[in-house]
Amino acid sequence: MRALAIAIFLTLPQSVYAQDRGQILSDIIAVHILPGYAALSESTNALAEAAHTDCSPTSDQLRSAYHAAFDDWISVSHLRFGPSETEDRAFALAFWPDTKGFTPKALSGLIAVEDSAIQSPDAFAETSVAGRGFFALELMLYDPRFADQGSAEYRCALIQAISSDIDRNASAIDADWATYAHALANPGETSPYRSEDEAMQELYKALITGSEFTAETRIGRPLGTFDRPRPKRAEARRSERSLRHVELSLTALRDLAERLSADHPDIAADLDSAFTVAIDRAQSLDDPSFADVSTPQGRFRVEALQQSINDIRAIASTELGPTLGINAGFNSLDGD
Amino acid sequence: MTSRRSFLAGLAAASLAPLRGWSAVGAPDYLAAALFPDGTFRLAGLDAGGDILFALPLPARGHAAAAHPYQAQAVAFARRPGTFAIIIDCATGTQTAVLEAPKGRHFYGHGVFSTDGTRLFTTENDFEAGQGVIGVWNTDDYTRIGEFASGGVGPHDMRLMPDGRTLVVANGGIETHPETGRTKLNLPVMQPRLTYLDQNGQVLEQVELPQDLHKNSIRHLAVRADGLVGFAMQWQGDTSQHPPLLGLHRPGEKPWLFSAPNAEQSTLQGYAGSIAFSGEGETVAITCPRGNALHRFRVADGQLDGVFRHEDVCGLGTAPNGFVFTTGAGVIGQLSKNKAQISARPDCQWDNHLIPIRTAA
Repeated sequence: MRALAIAIFLTLPQSVYAQDRGQILSDIIAVHILPGYAALSESTNALAEAAHTDCSPTSDQLRSAYHAAFDDWISVSHLRFGPSETEDRAFALAFWPDTKGFTPKALSGLIAVEDSAIQSPDAFAETSVAGRGFFALELMLYDPRFADQGSAEYRCALIQAISSDIDRNASAIDADWATYAHALANPGETSPYRSEDEAMQELYKALITGSEFTAETRIGRPLGTFDRPRPKRAEARRSERSLRHVELSLTALRDLAERLSADHPDIAADLDSAFTVAIDRAQSLDDPSFADVSTPQGRFRVEALQQSINDIRAIASTELGPTLGINAGFNSLDGD
Repeated sequence: MTSRRSFLAGLAAASLAPLRGWSAVGAPDYLAAALFPDGTFRLAGLDAGGDILFALPLPARGHAAAAHPYQAQAVAFARRPGTFAIIIDCATGTQTAVLEAPKGRHFYGHGVFSTDGTRLFTTENDFEAGQGVIGVWNTDDYTRIGEFASGGVGPHDMRLMPDGRTLVVANGGIETHPETGRTKLNLPVMQPRLTYLDQNGQVLEQVELPQDLHKNSIRHLAVRADGLVGFAMQWQGDTSQHPPLLGLHRPGEKPWLFSAPNAEQSTLQGYAGSIAFSGEGETVAITCPRGNALHRFRVADGQLDGVFRHEDVCGLGTAPNGFVFTTGAGVIGQLSKNKAQISARPDCQWDNHLIPIRTAA
């Protein structure tokens, strides 16, 4: 998500307001980032154990471990830089959107030949990112197409391999954050960040791209157009997690926004009220998989939710961005 | 689909006065869009010295343009994901036609005319299929006469090779869909390609980068008179990596990638905006608007030959003795062997690209 479209132009190395960035950086690392990835690593460990205890797709224990771990992933899924990007770990955890149906193809491919790669974590880690992670596991647990493909033994071993691979990636990200946290908090020669401003800008980008992804992709894909709504494109709709992902990501982004704007109370207040509106709208929707986007009334409510996230994005880019020395540049719009 | 009339007209124009149409509007070397001080977006004709020869109003901010080979006629594309482009008569400033993308397609903002001017080719997105398309238009009346696959996903810039027949396409590899804005839908599996096609859509050659660079989107192109192709890239991978952003390719060979030393390369934020060869063809340069720098390399050995710092530098073109560049801060500059000369015009914000009206090399 870090790399998604953003119109950010990093201008002057010294921003207009010269506060002590160090305190904000340390706070975000200690309270927002490290506990988030630690929680993910713990719940994915529980997921791997649950899969090895009972690999039945309908097992309550396995399904609830899946939901708990997926929750923890969504809550850090806006923090797409550094350890999450090493070896494509984040993509291997969450290959979505899948516009060309690569995930079912990859799974069917493994099952059809009973690929032995699933017997070795190293070998499985070399297979396509599309056939790994939470979205592959969701298909194995919830999609009827995979309930009877191939042999029961192979399906069981595949579910266990996917769960262990999720845990392996989450643990690797968590472990790497121990050293990366130091680099983010201490910019300079030995850090990927040359200044505290650059480190702050990385976190700001996480806020901007995270809210953009939730508005444009998590909500935008199922919305489609009025004439052609696309409810089947909703994220993790089979396990009815689509709306939940919006709510979880908004909650995490709100925490990040609050900490990023800690030294600008007016902006913090504006962001806080915008997040309140958006989270209220998400919580009052009774449409867990965005199935109702096909009806005019249901669509209207999901559009209102999307609009409230766009309002957050506008406040972040017009109010918060400039305090961090970030302006939308004329020529740096992504990809042109 | 060339009509007899346009064929004869093209032949006559090509043989008698190849640039008569453009000379009537001051013989500009480039087209460039800009935001002017009165708040209007305009398409300007510039000469290599940086003088503005004309500046015609556009209905909205454009992306790039394409210049007819001999008539003073320009195509201005809307920004992505634009569904229309306008044809402007640069002598009168009037809009003479509108191209509308067919249902299920949008423009990527680049296009190129055939050598005889009878056809216009445009890079487009077949967004339901997530595949790139080249649209073909008859320039008599700007009707669409066909399309063919671009050979990849997300075709962006496109040029005509010096043989006058082969198209070279920068298939950037990134899938987008208008319903999800500029969200990139396929980063983990993206596969950019440099694709050579004939004008019927037959793929002549596909060039891919090594697998560890599959997130390096090939987006903008320059072609030297001898057919050497330069390509500028935009890195979509981990920001702690600083891969090359400039490559050269000669048909039939492997691509060759150029990079500045890491301390310099790491300031570019993985983003090159435009590419051009110098007039004498011995150097090649990229502009890096996020790193506020222009990097120039020697073609012969790939050595970094100069770093020039300008805020929001993006437009870049070939000039007789070097390069011409523009910036979003209003600068027009000339770069010759050892010096950069600036003519500041703080009243215009120049857009991404300088479109050559003829190949200076």
